[in-house]
Amino acid sequence: MDAAIRLEDVRWSIGKTTILEPVNLAFAAEKMNVILGPNGAGKSTLMRIAAGRLKPTGGRVLHGDRDVFGLDARALARQRAFLSQHVEIDFAITVEEVVLMGRYPHFARAPGREDRRIVDAALEMVGMAARRRQIYPTLSGGEQQRVQLARVLAQVWSDETPPPARTIFLDEPIASLDVHHQLQILEIVRGLLARGCTIIVTLHDLNLAMRYGDRLIFLRDGRLHDVVEDPGAVSTDLVRRIFDVRATALDDDGRPMLRFYL
Amino acid sequence: MGRLSWMQIHVLLACALLGALLLSLSVGSFYFPPEEIFRFVRHGLGIAPVAPEEGLDLNVFVTLRLPRVLLCGVTGATLGLSGALMQGLFRNPIVEPGLAGTSSGAALGASLMFVFGNTALAFTSPLGTAAVPVMAFLGGFLATLLVYRIATLFGHTDVLALLLAGIAVNALCNAGTGFLSYIARDPQARNITFWNLGTFTTADWRGSLLVTAIFVPCLVFILRRGKDLNALMLGEDDAAYIGFDPDRLVFRLLVLNTLIVSVATAMVGVIAFVGLIVPHMMRLLRSSDYRFLLPASALSGALLMEAIDVVARLVIRPAELPVGIITALIGAPIFLWILLAYRRRIAS
Repeated sequence: MDAAIRLEDVRWSIGKTTILEPVNLAFAAEKMNVILGPNGAGKSTLMRIAAGRLKPTGGRVLHGDRDVFGLDARALARQRAFLSQHVEIDFAITVEEVVLMGRYPHFARAPGREDRRIVDAALEMVGMAARRRQIYPTLSGGEQQRVQLARVLAQVWSDETPPPARTIFLDEPIASLDVHHQLQILEIVRGLLARGCTIIVTLHDLNLAMRYGDRLIFLRDGRLHDVVEDPGAVSTDLVRRIFDVRATALDDDGRPMLRFYL
Repeated sequence: MGRLSWMQIHVLLACALLGALLLSLSVGSFYFPPEEIFRFVRHGLGIAPVAPEEGLDLNVFVTLRLPRVLLCGVTGATLGLSGALMQGLFRNPIVEPGLAGTSSGAALGASLMFVFGNTALAFTSPLGTAAVPVMAFLGGFLATLLVYRIATLFGHTDVLALLLAGIAVNALCNAGTGFLSYIARDPQARNITFWNLGTFTTADWRGSLLVTAIFVPCLVFILRRGKDLNALMLGEDDAAYIGFDPDRLVFRLLVLNTLIVSVATAMVGVIAFVGLIVPHMMRLLRSSDYRFLLPASALSGALLMEAIDVVARLVIRPAELPVGIITALIGAPIFLWILLAYRRRIAS
């Protein structure tokens, strides 16, 4: 496996409370790495550490072969983007201006024509091009999430061949969306793999994770439990150990689908 | 206004400010017609000296009117800029320097100097006239630092805690200032009361130049932080993910903000609501993008302050009204209106 990001003996604790026990983990390059686990398992903490935002109490985080905490913040921002669960803005600012923020690590004073073109393309990709002049806080929650996704896409956009290595983190990107927009966002994200992006995403929906993910990483109580390389091979036993629910596997046109019981 | 570029709006505001400066230079208890000001300028440039009978006028103009207009403009620019800056730092459109303890801390520091300057604080006398602004900065800085410390844990600033701490620190500082004006003997007490209302009558060259000399470099630094403040709109984590260092940014800008607000407060007293209204108007006019908002707020802050000072000099001639009374009179209802609009939007 080709690793884009590697966590070596990474741990995190606040005072005497251990949030994350020592983890050794590699995220596969140009694959969809899905992190799963119950609430409070340490998924968000793991993401923030892997993305270089939170300095772990111990261990190293390598992006490629370099320690992420030794990288220049702007240089890092050109190859690593992060979509938060929900971004609230209290100011009257247009959709276009929000997406342009993704280009901030790329220009000094004023955006160039290339930056504008990428903003347009990113808005096009998430289907929000027609709303570009609308004021961000007036959008619905789902629309705001798509605009934020466009910002993240603009940040690590590349039309080069072969494309440079980039990583996109998404923290529960579909948690507050309706079914249609859930699938739409996952399709867009899945399409980024072909453009040379590595995806690291947390999801709550195990069936969607099995359908869209390449590798499933299971966390519980701040501990790495299992990495499943074949999303079709999630055992009902694993589901019970991680989520405390019984599961039966159904057949969904040749693909396994899980149904849960307490 | 929708079709004008940011730059065009900035230029229009600058032109309006020039007009306001000219008006402010000419009206007051002494009236200087524009053609007389023009003669003074030619005299100043050594082109054509004024007639001897105009010597007194020239003296009043140069020693009283000019520094006052300068101080007024710089103070207005300071308050407008500071309002926009703090709203960006706290990610909330209803913050201003008065809310985070900066102004009241500076006021307490300056009041201490007024009352104890010749007794307990006599060691500050080598500072001369700079002693009041230095004490105001210390007061404003300590108050802001206290608010900031309480609101910041593990390198993360909590906005709600910051605002609540600001309320408590304001109450404490105002109690201190109130106590000082209560125990002060007449001349000092009058000084505190009058100065608490905000006024430009005491302007002289030393004070005006000091405020200007501190303001200009801070302005240059702050205007270059438009992108950073935009990024901060997304929240501290997301600002970090697009390549900024939010903790360092917030701290640096808070220090500069405290500096310019404290020094201006030491000279002119507490002037409320300008920092709130000016950025809000600019947001409505065009955009909340800080690359537009910061220069626009500085320019229109100066413009508004000059206009208010002209009114203050004219309404009860030959006496003058403290400008703080006028800004509060206009500002408080507008503040309530902004608050109502904000609540409605949150509710919907």
